Amino acid sequence: MATHDELTESLKAFMDSYNKNERLKVMNRDWNRVVVVKATDIDSLHTLTVLDGVVSLREGASGQPDLTVISDSETLADMFYGDITPTEPYNNGTLRIMGSEDDIVRLDFISLMIWGE
Amino acid sequence: MKRVVSVSLGSSKRDHKVVTELLGEKFEIARVGTDGDFNRALELLHELDGKVDAIGLGGIDVYLFVKEKRYAIKDGLRLLEAVKTTPVVDGSGLKNTLEREAVRILAEETGLLKKGTKVLMVSSVDRFGMAEAMAEMDCDMTFGDLIFAAGIPYPIKTMVELEEIANKTLPEFTQMPFHMIYPTGKKQDTQDDAKVEKFAGYYLDAEVIAGDFHLIRRFMPAGLKGQTILTNTTTRDDIDFLRAKGAGTLVTTTPEYEGRSFGTNVMEAALLAVLGKPWEEITPQEYLDLLHRLNFKPRILSLQE
Repeated sequence: MATHDELTESLKAFMDSYNKNERLKVMNRDWNRVVVVKATDIDSLHTLTVLDGVVSLREGASGQPDLTVISDSETLADMFYGDITPTEPYNNGTLRIMGSEDDIVRLDFISLMIWGE
Repeated sequence: MKRVVSVSLGSSKRDHKVVTELLGEKFEIARVGTDGDFNRALELLHELDGKVDAIGLGGIDVYLFVKEKRYAIKDGLRLLEAVKTTPVVDGSGLKNTLEREAVRILAEETGLLKKGTKVLMVSSVDRFGMAEAMAEMDCDMTFGDLIFAAGIPYPIKTMVELEEIANKTLPEFTQMPFHMIYPTGKKQDTQDDAKVEKFAGYYLDAEVIAGDFHLIRRFMPAGLKGQTILTNTTTRDDIDFLRAKGAGTLVTTTPEYEGRSFGTNVMEAALLAVLGKPWEEITPQEYLDLLHRLNFKPRILSLQE
């Protein structure tokens, strides 16, 4: 089990890696989205906001998320640190993502572009 | 008579059956669509296994090639592995040979492809040979893989970047449910209106629009100015569709039978039956020799006469 702080750190690592990647920012200029990250085993909520290609992070929920990413804290931390890809936990049901299929594919793509081989 | 059947995840509206002769032997070639129903496709494959001479898998790729690297699509592999006795192919083996050859012929024998021609490939990781062949002849390439598969308005312009992004993303994308990354079933009969509008510029700026027909169709805007469409798996309705959108020329890489061109999976299955060898033992040169013996050439159809 990861702690709320560990989860926050993993999301910061994800955000920093994303924001350093100029190509990703260009790719996502059109994709303004609010993504809520919710742990199922601890009390932990975060909101990632993509606005004009730039990602920001804050602790706590957002009222109207476009995507909600739900899993146990360990899986979420592993995923946002890039130790695992979202595909396997998504396919085996450990990870749930609520939102449109297009947005799910886009989020998956972003994480692969950050952490992919 | 030899029987070749393509089982496709695509729309059953495109079902077709022909009897033809290849090198003096009669072939019945049929295509059966399952409207995106994966389990129905599995059932059909079980039914056909051991009863026909070769099977093609349509509406889905099993293998994607990026240079020497091969990525297997999880859902495609499940279908492939359901067939135990009959030789089964997805068309990727032939595609690499046939489509490179089609590009060569178009460049040498027509004015449709030349250095600097502006080409939009709606997807290229499923047709790496075609992409590479056109890039090698210095066409002005726009690879639309991110645009049309992931909705990301980012045109990839070089083979180096295409290869880099493909190698980063395909190991995982190939494990996703196939319907999330490719239009299957009824989606093949409709257009994605929001994306048609959003991405129209890529079509309108191109001189040649190449790649998978279902993707080309799904995102094609009206008001084309005589562009050439390089693809296959087209029906008579598709030809009417292209004409109405303003396309100028249709080039299909597979031969026409009774008004339509089959997918490469069907043709590869037929060639497999002709050669009578396991798929793993057939070399690209054998396919190429056979294509020449069969006089397979791209079909070029003017749409604006």
